[in-house]
Amino acid sequence: MDELEFRRRIYADPETTDSDVVEAAKEDEKKRHFWNEQKKLDQQLKQALKVDVPDDLANKLIWQQSVDEFTRYKRKNRWYMAMAASVAFTIGIGLTMWYHQPLSLGGQALAHMQYAKVEQAHSKLPVDLNMVNAKLASFGASFSDMIDGVEVANYCHLSSIRSLHLIVNTPQGKMSVFVVPERNDISVPNEFSDSEFHGEGMSMEHAKIMIVGEKGADLSEMKKAVTSRLQFSA
Amino acid sequence: MFARKKTENAQVLSVMKAKHHRYEALVKAFHTDIYRYAFWLVKDQSVAEDIVQETFLRAWRSLDALNDEKAAKSWLITILRRENARRFERKQLETVDIDDVSIQDETQQADDDVSNRELQRLLGGLSIEYREPLILQIIFGFSGEEIADQLGLNKNTVMTRLFRARNQLKEALEKQNEQRGRANG
Repeated sequence: MDELEFRRRIYADPETTDSDVVEAAKEDEKKRHFWNEQKKLDQQLKQALKVDVPDDLANKLIWQQSVDEFTRYKRKNRWYMAMAASVAFTIGIGLTMWYHQPLSLGGQALAHMQYAKVEQAHSKLPVDLNMVNAKLASFGASFSDMIDGVEVANYCHLSSIRSLHLIVNTPQGKMSVFVVPERNDISVPNEFSDSEFHGEGMSMEHAKIMIVGEKGADLSEMKKAVTSRLQFSA
Repeated sequence: MFARKKTENAQVLSVMKAKHHRYEALVKAFHTDIYRYAFWLVKDQSVAEDIVQETFLRAWRSLDALNDEKAAKSWLITILRRENARRFERKQLETVDIDDVSIQDETQQADDDVSNRELQRLLGGLSIEYREPLILQIIFGFSGEEIADQLGLNKNTVMTRLFRARNQLKEALEKQNEQRGRANG
């Protein structure tokens, strides 16, 4: 092994145990000397690399780990809390909105149609314009002319809203007219129906009107009759 | 049901405890060498400390990924090198010429061997591609092959760099001795 190669090998790894390097050193005193010098230098390098490690670095490393674990644990919990809070909040908002949602009275009117069937049976008293107007007065309304065939005029509660329920006998069959006070928290659908009845709603000046008839009945005549006769005083 | 929950909790706790023990063992076994490696990589004490802290924090977070205890050393070195690279991405630090700055801090013991300090200065003066393999070899006792693996270089390149690193150190030392000799003579 020539000098240069030997040096190259030693420089690359002074601790080498490669047999050809060892052999070459045995044979040549100069090479041995060079190697020993290198080993010495490496020992010095080893020392030189041993810079002071900051005091308590190990403890710091352990400490920061527990801090990290703690904050992550907290963050995880916070995440759950935030989740729970957000779910609760959403439910709260949802409920409030649901609660404050304008009540749709179409279904209520349909339900009352069942009641109307029974109602007519026990009130055969004739209904006149004065009586109907007396009841309409609380809505600030009145009929200019009587609608033909009114059999029953009674207050009823559509979802706790006091309304006037007229049951009218028409050529199209029995119809109901509901007069509902104008309020922000209720709404009246334009059209609604179930298996037996169908109805239409409309808004008038100070009240909402729903007309419900049997399935297939033409409601337009009654609509015309009501809108043309109903007057509002205020 | 409560009893089961209790044993589950106890199990989780003992797993956590084992993990803590493992981490502490890792810190105790390697923090000195890892710190020194970091120091010689960046040549700045506080930056080195920061990187070491970040390294061990990351090591803790993915401690479960460390299956082979023997690989711990090179695993930590890999994390540290990545941390260091990240630091470079964060801010392109202006490199300070090593001749202008003393590597060793002033608190170093006064009776420190002059040649020791001289060697440190020379080591700091080596360019990083020569210095790093040398550090890995001397601090961690890595073989040429292990260094090649760690740095993603081929073995011949590593051997050449080790050779050049020592050669440069040697030449610098000889030059100094000459100068000193001349000054004394």
